[in-house]
Amino acid sequence: MTIISAEAIRKTYQRGTEQIHAVDSVDLSIEQGDFLSIVGASGSGKTSLLHILGCLDNPSGGRLQVDNQEVFANSKAMPEKKLTGLRSRIFGYIFQSFYLIPTLTVKENILLPYAFKTQKPDPDAIHTVAKQMGLEHRLSHLPGELSGGEMQRVAIARAIVTDPKVILADEPTGNLDSRRSAEIAEILYSLNQDYGKTIVLVTHNPELATRARRVIELKDGKIV
Amino acid sequence: MKQLLIIALCLLLTPLVAAVGCDLNDPDGDIRRLFPESTGYKTSYRSIQREGGRALLNTIENRLGDRFSGLYETIDNPYTIYDVFSGTRKIGVIHGVNQKGRTGGIQIFLALDNNGIIKKLYLQRISSRNNRLYRAESFTNQFIGLKLEDFDRWNVARATGTGKVAAIRNPVANDPDFAAIMRGIKKNLILMKHFSQ
Amino acid sequence: MISITKIASKSLLRKRLRSILTLLGIAISSWVLISLLGFNQGYERSLDDDIDNLGFQVLLTAKGCPYEAATLMLQGGAGLRYMPDTVIDSLRSMPEVQNLTPMLMQAVFDPMVGENGTVVAYSGVDPATFPKMKSYLQFEKGTWFSDPTATEAVIGYEAAELEQREVGDLILVPEKNVELTIVGILKRSGTQDDGTIFVPYLALQSIFEVQGKLTSVGIQVGKDVDVTAFEDKLYELPDVQVVSMAQVKSTISNLVGTARVMVMSIALIAILIAMVGVVNTILMSVFERYQEIGIMKSMGATAGHIFRLIWTETVVLCLIGGLLGAAMAYGLAAVTESLIRYLLPYSPKGSLVYIDGMLMLKSIGIIIGIGVVSGLYPAWRAARIKPIEAIKKSEGEL
Repeated sequence: MTIISAEAIRKTYQRGTEQIHAVDSVDLSIEQGDFLSIVGASGSGKTSLLHILGCLDNPSGGRLQVDNQEVFANSKAMPEKKLTGLRSRIFGYIFQSFYLIPTLTVKENILLPYAFKTQKPDPDAIHTVAKQMGLEHRLSHLPGELSGGEMQRVAIARAIVTDPKVILADEPTGNLDSRRSAEIAEILYSLNQDYGKTIVLVTHNPELATRARRVIELKDGKIV
Repeated sequence: MKQLLIIALCLLLTPLVAAVGCDLNDPDGDIRRLFPESTGYKTSYRSIQREGGRALLNTIENRLGDRFSGLYETIDNPYTIYDVFSGTRKIGVIHGVNQKGRTGGIQIFLALDNNGIIKKLYLQRISSRNNRLYRAESFTNQFIGLKLEDFDRWNVARATGTGKVAAIRNPVANDPDFAAIMRGIKKNLILMKHFSQ
Repeated sequence: MISITKIASKSLLRKRLRSILTLLGIAISSWVLISLLGFNQGYERSLDDDIDNLGFQVLLTAKGCPYEAATLMLQGGAGLRYMPDTVIDSLRSMPEVQNLTPMLMQAVFDPMVGENGTVVAYSGVDPATFPKMKSYLQFEKGTWFSDPTATEAVIGYEAAELEQREVGDLILVPEKNVELTIVGILKRSGTQDDGTIFVPYLALQSIFEVQGKLTSVGIQVGKDVDVTAFEDKLYELPDVQVVSMAQVKSTISNLVGTARVMVMSIALIAILIAMVGVVNTILMSVFERYQEIGIMKSMGATAGHIFRLIWTETVVLCLIGGLLGAAMAYGLAAVTESLIRYLLPYSPKGSLVYIDGMLMLKSIGIIIGIGVVSGLYPAWRAARIKPIEAIKKSEGEL
């Protein structure tokens, strides 16, 4: 079953007088359970594409469907409110910077998405996720007391605690050394293999990219 | 700063709690009248409490030959003393006491020279039918030249005396305010003796 | 277990010093606000109390003599105007009159005090009605007169000190050569009563040979009487003047009004400054958390959620600051009071700063209201943050 379907997606920016085609006529279909890696040089448009696929940014043209809903078509985007709902239901995001809230404990950071949901978290969910991320003993710590790898694991835990269908990761190992990177790669792999999560990953890291089932490379906004 | 505040507070509160003192109504005018040669004066406040406490009160009462009594003749009663100067030279002192009269308070001021000899008796206030007679010079002039030792011969309790004080004439026969005035003068002289030590 | 309120409260701990300073700003302005409101309320009450202590709301005097006390002092009683005591019967027939008490002021010049003499004033009162109206008068010793015509006196504490009088002693009315027996000495009350010599008015009438005459009548009106209308009615009596305590009160209130406007403006300025401080603090923290807010939006936070988050921070700040300020205002009321007493031209006796639960609630309400308003702009700014912008800004990539 197709979870994300993109047709002729374009994204253009105006930089001074110059028009930049960050994403240029990309057709892409992502099935549920897929593990897609997007690679490419800096400025190849891979992050822009990820943002569009994750409904964080609107394309300039083309058509985008997520979970059988029309997100963008005929130059019209889904209303912001509906989009927010869709994002929180379908996606979990992982970024290069972890964006943990320094005044909240690890546990509170992981459960943060529930602050904006009417539904209460499953009392076991936190423990399940914490165990999965190897954070059981860190729950009451503040982010400042963690290592970089641990922080990224908290960010991943926060992304998966609501049980999203798709995990979008943008350079998740960008700020980590090779050992920690391998750790994160293992986690993403396991999320896909063992828990059936669809993963879309943007990375420079070839080692990480090779864990994916499918790799696409972008150059000047086009798939090559 | 803190001390200043405390002092200010004490000054503000004192008149509220302390017994009533005895001040000249118009010190500038009164002092010039009582000491025509004066050029200035200095005011100070004394009380038996502060000068010697209970022991001093006993000494004073013994010499007076009577006990201090009533709501208004207390150990902490403040007394105002005016030291009078001519240039830098002290020429005398003025001091007043409250004395209970028959129909009201009597305020008895004495102007004394440096040897404690009465130069003038001034009854600032006397509520009595006969106040005119008591304030008349024919009465007050009789006290000029007397001193505490003369009043030692005046028995306050029996209102009789010997020596110079025996010669003082009561302007109103049998009027009890005369005895009150005599007692007040004796009290005034005794207090001055202790306050000027 | 995790809620917007919790996130908001915890985020205030991020820059502790800044939060504390802002808090202090709010606390101080709430302190000023509450103290001033407390003053407004307390002043009103004390003034009312002072006026209630007079015992009557309307004073009827003979025409031409509205401020008898002043007249007495200036003219030694020579300028006194009288009204016939039949006025009492006319007054008694009026339904508005609840209680009344006839009064006769007399004064005599005593040349034998000091060098220039002095004026001694006597207040003739009715033993049947006067004590009831002045129920706050308490005796140091003794009690009221034994008989409405007795040549007796009740004297204030200061008068007793001055004349060295005790119960049972005599006091002389100068010139008239009448001796009064002291039957009571009043406790110090801090009012003009302390220096007053009270005599039964009938006795005073015969001593001063003004039989059948009064200088004033104190009137207590019924609770639901329209005092203004009643005043007009009183003017129908011949040769009277009406002084109502409402007038006195409004005169004093006007006097103090200017000072009050001034202090209220100061309070307003303090609040505005605090408000700017709050807006600044919250806005800064919004900018610092740009990315965080973006991330929250990416995980499903709506503009409404973010708005609530930032708004809550503001309100929490103001609530704590308000409570702190209220505690300060309550704890330091005595200090505030002496300060105000020092500044004011006339201050009533009772407590000037009256702070009760209701006032505190109201003031904290005002402070929170201010917080709510101050939080609007920062919250609106935060709510408008687009997740993609926030993320791009930090990831620095297209």
